[in-house]
Amino acid sequence: MRRDRLRIALVSIEGTNNDEELLAALRALRVPAEVVQLKQFEGRDVERSQRRDLFDFRVLLFPGGFSAGDYVRAGAIFAARVRAAVGPSLEEFVRAGHLVGGICNGFQVLTELGLLPGRPDGRMGRPQAALMTNDSGHHECRPTFLRWEGGRFAPLQSLPPGERYMIPSSHGEGKLVLSDEPGARLEDLERTGQILFRYVGPDGGPAEYPWNPNGSVGNIAAVTNPMGNVFGIMPHPERSFYRIQHPDWTRKGHPEGPGDGHLFLESIVRYAETHD
Amino acid sequence: MPGQAIDGEPEWAPGVSTVPFRNLSRAALVRTSARLNLGFDSVELVRIQRYYMRAGREPTDLELAGLAQSWSEHCSYKSSRVFLRAAFGKLQSARRVLGTGDAGVMKFEDGFAYALRIESHNHPSAVEPYGGAATGIGGILRDILAVGAKPIALADPLFFGPLDRAREQLPPGVKSPRYLFDGVVAGIRDYGNRVGVPTVTGGIYFDPQYVVNPLVNVGCVGFLPRARLLPNRARAAGDRLVLVGGLTGRDGIGGVSFASRELTERSETESRGAVQLGNPIMKEPLIHACIEAFDRTLVRGLKDLGGGGLATASGELVHAGGFGSEIDLDRVPLRERGLLPWEIWVSESQERMLLDVRPNDLSALLAIFRRWDVPATDIGRVNRGSIERIRLGGVAAGTLDVGFRVAPTPRRRPTRAPRSATRRPRARVPDELLAELIRDQTLAPDSVSREPVIRVYDHEVFGHTILKPLQGQVTSPSHGDAAVLRPRTESWKGLALTVAAQPWACQEDPRGGGRWVVEEAARNLYAVGARPDAFTNCLNFGNPEDPHVLGQFAAVVRGLAEGARGLDFAIPSGNVSFYNGGLGAEIPPTPVLLATGIVPDVRQCTSVDLKEAGNPLYLVGASRPELGGSLWARRNGLRGQPIPPTHPARLRHMGEALLSLARSHALRAVHDVSDGGLALTLLEMAFGSGLGFSVDLAATGLAGPGLAAVGEGASRWVVEVDRTLVPMFERQLRAEPVARLGEVIATGGHFRWTDRTVADLDLSELYTAWRDGLRWT
Repeated sequence: MRRDRLRIALVSIEGTNNDEELLAALRALRVPAEVVQLKQFEGRDVERSQRRDLFDFRVLLFPGGFSAGDYVRAGAIFAARVRAAVGPSLEEFVRAGHLVGGICNGFQVLTELGLLPGRPDGRMGRPQAALMTNDSGHHECRPTFLRWEGGRFAPLQSLPPGERYMIPSSHGEGKLVLSDEPGARLEDLERTGQILFRYVGPDGGPAEYPWNPNGSVGNIAAVTNPMGNVFGIMPHPERSFYRIQHPDWTRKGHPEGPGDGHLFLESIVRYAETHD
Repeated sequence: MPGQAIDGEPEWAPGVSTVPFRNLSRAALVRTSARLNLGFDSVELVRIQRYYMRAGREPTDLELAGLAQSWSEHCSYKSSRVFLRAAFGKLQSARRVLGTGDAGVMKFEDGFAYALRIESHNHPSAVEPYGGAATGIGGILRDILAVGAKPIALADPLFFGPLDRAREQLPPGVKSPRYLFDGVVAGIRDYGNRVGVPTVTGGIYFDPQYVVNPLVNVGCVGFLPRARLLPNRARAAGDRLVLVGGLTGRDGIGGVSFASRELTERSETESRGAVQLGNPIMKEPLIHACIEAFDRTLVRGLKDLGGGGLATASGELVHAGGFGSEIDLDRVPLRERGLLPWEIWVSESQERMLLDVRPNDLSALLAIFRRWDVPATDIGRVNRGSIERIRLGGVAAGTLDVGFRVAPTPRRRPTRAPRSATRRPRARVPDELLAELIRDQTLAPDSVSREPVIRVYDHEVFGHTILKPLQGQVTSPSHGDAAVLRPRTESWKGLALTVAAQPWACQEDPRGGGRWVVEEAARNLYAVGARPDAFTNCLNFGNPEDPHVLGQFAAVVRGLAEGARGLDFAIPSGNVSFYNGGLGAEIPPTPVLLATGIVPDVRQCTSVDLKEAGNPLYLVGASRPELGGSLWARRNGLRGQPIPPTHPARLRHMGEALLSLARSHALRAVHDVSDGGLALTLLEMAFGSGLGFSVDLAATGLAGPGLAAVGEGASRWVVEVDRTLVPMFERQLRAEPVARLGEVIATGGHFRWTDRTVADLDLSELYTAWRDGLRWT
């Protein structure tokens, strides 16, 4: 599929406030992405021309923000509304192998839906994990380094594992906690290649606070489902899309160049356009 | 009895009462005003009485409540207007200004513009820090939205008493600085992060003079295509008035009267209800829906509902257009039952805007708000003439000449000229134990790293913050002089933002201090590679009825204007906050600037951190021996010291030279010399780099190493120059006072006086102490 026909929806409700930079990044990649309010899928209170169907799109992304204020567990309200509005179609979308991703608050939403870490059949259900309040007890807006773990995530298959990227974090609830037998669950995720990125220190070694900004189990920053087509990532690739967004570009130079987040988003787009 | 016709008087709607006024003596009028908490003084009461005598009837409670809002100091600027107009009236820079409504609007590039505004939320934050700080952000976002701009950045200058002040040392009814600080920071974090606008700059200042009355100022910058610029006035008779956003409740009633008097020990119990409740998750879609409506040209004019609520907003909107209005209060969507009509009229419930909409556009407009789940209600219309008619169920609740109501006569209150600056013999900084002195200054509450606070604010949402509040290597970032935004990815043009405040200099010498603050803003902007463009100011002062306070105000305003003229700053907006103080305490005169600069190409921005060992370090600008207002003077309890002189026009000349050098990539790092003097400036540059420096303090030309290390005067920068471009640097600045200080080295902070070592600092240990010096819980 030609890139200029690759429709990507950024699904939003009130409080989804990181859609703009993600939209700008995807448009810079020449993708006709659009922000779609959940109501546009439901067809409630919207003009006919603004109604949308999930299957109008190739990729669904849930951007960051504070959906509905996140006054209860982050992402829980948005997830409940997604389930009520488009639950069955979303499940069908996932089971068809299309890419679905969540960044920051979007990761929390997909976790609440039970799509992440997820089941082998791609069905939604009871959450198997939670993204809890950071160990520091508050919001953390800071640069973080992620290492690609060489897992199941198809879009990154051409990249050498172990590569390290600067992708900044900004969240108050990003500590991944696994349910049931957490230790065994962590080993499962490692074995099935569902760990997408881990936090690492600036020297590439294991991350301690603040390089793991939230206390996430196993330094996990991003995971996929067993099929590898649903992903969730706490840090923000859309915020290091250009080199000039990196915090230390005045030291390292090349402000014109692409940033580390560019590679991640570009890989997703390239995968989606080549895998129909 | 409400609803019933009284002898020859009109019949009023249920819930509306009349207030006997016409036959009262002056003393009885004053008592009535006090009983109803209206805040009028006797001159104003007589004017109102005369109006109703001509009208041949008694006022309604709703009419008086509306008048009280509009005539308050907070809404009317009645005490400050004459000074502001005289000083800020005629600036050359006005040619760059596109609008001076609820926010100032400045040209940016090609068809784009930016908006800026700062205001105070001091009194609400003194009684309820979390909610007060949060709704402060809410209010400033609406001001930006009200000119058609989308908010893109926030700034939060904060002033508190010392955090270690023990509870027993606090006056009755005053909350501890630690509680206020923690609450305010959490309020900014939770509202700002949820609404999704980055907090990119600010300042945290400590002084015992802010114990009773902390200052919580909040600034915002917005961005817009020029074609979207909207006026804060109604456009045509027959247009509909549409109230959009949050529901109206009983919170924030009397907020402007609360802001227009001093705090007392009973403020907590009496005025808690004057603090509004913020809801960022109503504001976020409200912004989206408004911008969409603006882009589709469905809105012709608008006003935000802030101080004085619907009364102030509707009155000012129609009066500015030369119209009257007709408003049906029973259509206002309410959050709770049982609100009296006057309460609906003046409630300051948050997240509301009033739009002027063509009747034909109404249904398209309402559809947008419905899709965003934001309430939108047609509550009235714009009328020919100058009368506002407020009704309930078709029955009158108030009928007033709107010009009379919203535009009180400016007051010319008496002023007393501030005492002259120099009163004490010049203090002498010791030259011995310099390392200890520098360490003490570096670890002072005013100096230690703000990283613990900066990190809890999202300063990157939107992805356009390209020079961040923390600069340098990721493992040890330092304070930058200004943040730089790149509002459009299609262009390399940038907008730099910085906050400047120097209350201590203003206290020593209000006029010189005013100039100093403007200079500081300009130095910060030049440091990152930006040309000063505009500032918006929040002028925090004490009681204007005290001639001494108003004299300080007049002098500061004059100094600000002189600074603006010399540095070609425009002043398109501002805010005055009087009555800061109470319980016998007074704040120092505290003008706070949010200043903007234009960066021609963001790729040429310079950050604060040192870059490479072997590069030379220069001091640009002349050093001065005066110590007034300096961190050193404050830590030693020294008052009555002269402040260093300032020369805005000369500073501009040097700043322009630095910009041209930045274009040639000759400057590797730049930092302005301010609080803490040359020593702290160099340390901050080193902290951000992991590198060190070796400098000769005698290069300042001052009398001794102590003064050279901590003196703060004025108009100076430290710059690291690319060692291959030194001749270009020296040529460009040959007409300016420039001294070679030393060079960047691999490690350590090495201070010499000619060839004698006067302080040798272990920077890694000092960095850790500085980084962890400010605790925020």
